[in-house]
Amino acid sequence: MKRVVFILILAAFALRIADANEPTSIVVIVNPGSGVDHLTRDEVIDIFLGRYRKLPSGRAALPIDIAEASAERARFYQLLVKKSRADMSSYWARLVFSGQTSPPFQVSDAKTAIELVQSNPNAIAYVDSASVSAGVKVVLELKP
Amino acid sequence: MNSSPDKRKRWNARFLPRSIVARTSLSILVLAVVMGLAFSLMASWRVRAAEHDRLIARVHELTSTVESTVSIACFLNDATLAKEIAGGLMKNRIVAGVRVTSGAKLLYSGGVVEAARGRAARIDAFPQTIYSPFDQKNEVGQITLYVSSAEIEAQAAAYSRYTIWILSLQVSIVAAAVAFLVYLLVTRPIKGISDELHRLEIRSGMRLTWPSGNRKDEIGQLVLDVNGLIARLTDALANERELRVAHEISERRMRLVFEKADTGILVLDERGAVLSCNPSFVRILGPGAGLAGAQLDQLLRPHGPLVAELIESANAADEPREADMEVDLGSGRGKVWVELSVNRLGPNLLQGLVNDITERKRAEVAARELASRDPVTSLLNRRGIDAALVQVLERPIESRARPALLQIDLDHFKSVNDTHGHDAGDHVLRVVARVLERAVRRSDFVGRSGGDEFQVILAGVEKTSVALDIANKIIAEVAQPVDVGGGNLVRVGASIGIAMGSGEYEAPASFLRRADEAMYEAKQSGKGCVRVAAAAAAEPGDSAAA
Repeated sequence: MKRVVFILILAAFALRIADANEPTSIVVIVNPGSGVDHLTRDEVIDIFLGRYRKLPSGRAALPIDIAEASAERARFYQLLVKKSRADMSSYWARLVFSGQTSPPFQVSDAKTAIELVQSNPNAIAYVDSASVSAGVKVVLELKP
Repeated sequence: MNSSPDKRKRWNARFLPRSIVARTSLSILVLAVVMGLAFSLMASWRVRAAEHDRLIARVHELTSTVESTVSIACFLNDATLAKEIAGGLMKNRIVAGVRVTSGAKLLYSGGVVEAARGRAARIDAFPQTIYSPFDQKNEVGQITLYVSSAEIEAQAAAYSRYTIWILSLQVSIVAAAVAFLVYLLVTRPIKGISDELHRLEIRSGMRLTWPSGNRKDEIGQLVLDVNGLIARLTDALANERELRVAHEISERRMRLVFEKADTGILVLDERGAVLSCNPSFVRILGPGAGLAGAQLDQLLRPHGPLVAELIESANAADEPREADMEVDLGSGRGKVWVELSVNRLGPNLLQGLVNDITERKRAEVAARELASRDPVTSLLNRRGIDAALVQVLERPIESRARPALLQIDLDHFKSVNDTHGHDAGDHVLRVVARVLERAVRRSDFVGRSGGDEFQVILAGVEKTSVALDIANKIIAEVAQPVDVGGGNLVRVGASIGIAMGSGEYEAPASFLRRADEAMYEAKQSGKGCVRVAAAAAAEPGDSAAA
């Protein structure tokens, strides 16, 4: 029991040290079958903010947002376009009228997003670099 | 140099109203209009420029306002959004058209989207580059606002007109208020005073009304001062009137004295010209005396030099100068004795008094004659002869004329007296007297010293022969028979002795004695002849008998 507590504390310390020294990146992931190996920041911006909903390979892109309250979403847009959560809401609200562009498809958490990417070659999503699993391809890393 | 104030005066007289009220009101009005115009021009220019700048700034503001949304529209190539934005912009009247492009793609184009030149519809383009909402370096499109400069100008002009209108209204109200106040406080009271003063009659003791609104200011002071002046003037006029009445009474009294006095009164200047005279003066000296410019020394002929002398001495002294003189009035009006008195009245002014003393003088002469005349023959008596001798002998010797005395004694007179009585004798004496008078000139003297002795004094003869001629003529005349009444003729003769004046002074007694001695000599020589007395300075040969 004492050992368990000790290890936990140690782990917590290690985690904090790791957190402080090396904050985790956000990575953009696609289905390995999408035919895309790498995306530029601008290409990611175009896809997620509705400008071009196409992958460089010519395949239609299906951007996926994690739930609005999630830490990943906030960090992603902050790192990508330096916009806050409120800025982004305002951005999409202005586009409601025209109806030509719609916000990305929204899922509840990173896990669902990864599953969607694994199963759909058009899907493109973002997750914490720590959460990357097999079956997805990282095309852009957004470092803090 | 001189003509310009005159020109301005004429201009003023021609174009400015005379009334002070109209003039001040007009001046204020003109000033207000001029100043209002000047201010309006300045304001309109400034306001117009400022309004133009403001509207241009507003175009930029409009662009800024929609910039972020346009940026999204461009970023997404969203024509609907662009149209939405453009619609909003074009509700603004100055925005004539909007054009939104995203890269080469035209997102929206509406309204007038051509920059146009020309007076009527000038369109200016205001382009603005649009950057990506997510990357300020990434150009994603362009929005161009087309603005109607004509509209801007029109709006600026409208605003400027509005400003001018407000300004004009303000200036007008201020001018009207100032004009009214000036009228109320200054011009109306002054006009009132002026009108009242114009109608004022000093005599009636009228006063100016004290204007109730201006009692304490300069206008009130003016009215008080004017009233004070009027009061003093009224008093002065009353005083003067009283003085004039008193003066008139006194003058009338003086005039009465002047007019009615028996004495001739006259005023002379320093050279003796008659300035004024009273009726008595004219009555005494004749109508010529009353004529303008009469000269006193000319009026009192032949005593001009004496009068001139009197006037001259009266000019120098304060005491009156007086003289009696017998004036020849000429032209048959005879002679008149006057007493002239000259007084100095003041500088260059003399008063003359002329009294007619003819009556008194006549009485005097009559009395004197009575004393010096022989009552029988009316010739000079002894005293008269003496006086005449004195006069003749003491007269200054002029030229070669000398006095001569003829001593005449009648021959055979005693027998006439004895035979025919004293009346006959007196008659003979009178006849002889007339003979003697006829024989001599008026300037000579004839006298009877007593009994049958006569004297003839010749005032001046140049030669002894003249006296001798006269003596012989007398002897011849006297020798004529005389009718003594009752058919009786008598005959007398005359023996004459002559004494000639020598040219030197000789006492009357000596002169008489010499003539007497010569007469005795004549008697001795047989009567009815003439002898000349020897004289101290007698001419050689003159002593011989003729």
